[in-house]
Amino acid sequence: MSAPPSARYLADLQRRNLLPPEQAASIAAAESTQPFSLHYELRALLYLGITLLAGGLGVLIYQNIDTISHGVIIAVIAALMAACFGYAARHRAPFTWGMIPKTSVGADYLLLLGCLLFVVLEGYVQYQYGLFGSRYGLATAVPALVFLPLAYWFDHRGVLAMGLTALASWVGLTVAPLAVLTENEFWNEHIRGAAIVLGVLLMAAGFYSEHQGRKAHFAFTYLLLGSNLALAALATSLVGTSLYEPLGLSYVVVMLALCAGLYWYARRTQSYWFLVLAAGYAYFATGYVLVELLLLLPSDAVFMAAFFLLPTSAVLVVLFFINIRKIMHGPADAPKPPFSSPQA
Amino acid sequence: MKIRAYNPDWAFNSALRKRAARWQRQQLANSEQLAAIEALYPLEYYRPVWPLRVGLFIFSCLGVALGGSFLLLMTGSHTPFASGLVFCVACFALLELLIKEQRCYHAGVDNALLYAGLSSASGLIYYAFSEYLWPQRGGYHLDLGATYLVVLLVLALLVAATLRYADAVVTAAAVAAALLLVALFGLNSPKGQMLLPFLLMGAAGGLLLLYRKLAQHAANLYLTDYYANCLLTLKVLSLAVLYLAGNYLVVREGSAELHHEFTSTQIPFAPVFYALTAGVPLLYIVLGLRRADRPLLLLGLLALAFSLFTLRHYRSLLPPEVAAVAAGTLLTVLAGALLRFLRPARGGLTSMPDDEPRHFNLENLIQAQTAHAPDAPATGGFEFGGGHSGGGGATGQF
Repeated sequence: MSAPPSARYLADLQRRNLLPPEQAASIAAAESTQPFSLHYELRALLYLGITLLAGGLGVLIYQNIDTISHGVIIAVIAALMAACFGYAARHRAPFTWGMIPKTSVGADYLLLLGCLLFVVLEGYVQYQYGLFGSRYGLATAVPALVFLPLAYWFDHRGVLAMGLTALASWVGLTVAPLAVLTENEFWNEHIRGAAIVLGVLLMAAGFYSEHQGRKAHFAFTYLLLGSNLALAALATSLVGTSLYEPLGLSYVVVMLALCAGLYWYARRTQSYWFLVLAAGYAYFATGYVLVELLLLLPSDAVFMAAFFLLPTSAVLVVLFFINIRKIMHGPADAPKPPFSSPQA
Repeated sequence: MKIRAYNPDWAFNSALRKRAARWQRQQLANSEQLAAIEALYPLEYYRPVWPLRVGLFIFSCLGVALGGSFLLLMTGSHTPFASGLVFCVACFALLELLIKEQRCYHAGVDNALLYAGLSSASGLIYYAFSEYLWPQRGGYHLDLGATYLVVLLVLALLVAATLRYADAVVTAAAVAAALLLVALFGLNSPKGQMLLPFLLMGAAGGLLLLYRKLAQHAANLYLTDYYANCLLTLKVLSLAVLYLAGNYLVVREGSAELHHEFTSTQIPFAPVFYALTAGVPLLYIVLGLRRADRPLLLLGLLALAFSLFTLRHYRSLLPPEVAAVAAGTLLTVLAGALLRFLRPARGGLTSMPDDEPRHFNLENLIQAQTAHAPDAPATGGFEFGGGHSGGGGATGQF
């Protein structure tokens, strides 16, 4: 019963004169002869097979590392990486600032695989020969320097995301003294500050590319990574400070300003992701302010107010979701979207 | 009062529009026809994309929980039955109101209210029995007869709710309640304990027969779309239980658990369970392929994986890494070969994706090209995100 017969739909359509009988008959005939597609099942099996093979081979190589030399393994990884990059470069479309239509799905994935192999190769060389010594900053800067140009050259957002991640870890490692990582104090002041600055810069890059049409489709990645970085850092900073210090207040203001920027972008690109993201962080920030204000009340009143406030905020969030289309498209007189398949 | 809470047109129209959009993609219908169909079969309900539904569900649960605790705080805990009743009635009243006024259709909010209402109703049934009807039988420890009655009443409640709200989770709960009744019956006696797997398989088989009866009965009815999710849930769950109840690992470890044994030992009728463990997945896969039945096929593949796990759990044939390499090679070669072999359809099977315009018809193509309206993309204006897969994932499309 995966594809129930369409007879009742066809009958209803004919009853309303929407479908000539010959066409209805041809549709019914086409559906009865339609072959059963195993496309996704076979793809999944192939993926599972490759994963098993790679995992098993990895373990086998690890167990027999003494008989195979490191040089051979490094050479094999490097050769694979070069092959991936070579294939991707051969199928590359000429550079434009716009979005390049995908011509070869294989090249797309091989580029990604090549980048992953680059990380593997770098990690292997570092682990085995200590190429970068203890200059870990350099070790994370190299992938960023390689991936970001590649992302623009090949017009690949997956590689862009990898490059930005490498950039973020480079910034984190450069800012924080290494001791921070060992002392379990990961979210210290320096890192938070750097994360906020980097996140804001990435968001600025996203707004710039959207506004200037320089790889406008990269804005999504820039804004998603940047806003999450900056807003998460701001949110954790907020928890640690008091609202009545100028710093705490400025955190709230910056958070709300970033949320407003995301709201602008969400409405511009009709992106529900960013609308929800903006609403979520704005909810957190205003909730924090309200709780801080509530704590000024006497303790009995705090309890009752909390019992009143929490359900109210849940109801408000539900109302937000129910009216999200209106929020996205402006007041009722704005043109309504087709609303054709809401259960996408 | 009508039996069905939602308007059956909603389900029918949405299924018909999906079908029509597919015909248009396959060039069996042109875009003007699609537009005409979409105008005459409007979607008049509220049902956002799934991430929003999840968000709505979570926040509605939060709101309901907080509202419930507020109610409990107001009434004090002297009359738990009364406040539970008020909560339950309030949930259902709000649910009906939302469906009527906001036309929510499995939109997250109504799901949350339905589950809250049903669980409070089930709790009330249990509470009424243990506290008021047979209090002398000792508080919270009901005897078997009373337990039957409680589960039976809950089952009746769930079936009624399924008929009215056509919710997949409620259907699953009803199936679980029915199986629980059978399991309670079996656990009652030593003989029943020994035959428990067969009892459960019999129950699952009975549910499957029920599914077939319902599906045949509903094949050309208007209401089929309304209950499509429920029927699918019933089928998938009974097939899964039918396999699991006969699986060697489940039976052996379950039997050990039942007799409080520290390590499981060989079970009676072991050859029967070997045969079931090996045979049922293959049967599912073959039947799934022959009947073009995707749920059955997928369940068969999952069951096959679990059967292999069962085998390796008791007999380790090869060291894991060698087994992984061998299985990986086999799977890769097999899947790759089949992907190529089935490129043109063979024997009713194909490796092409489902929605490719296979029925390439020159006449329809010309019609579509000369029609002045461009072929509207079938996905509507309610797309999530920038319309692309984003973040660190792949950007290609399978």
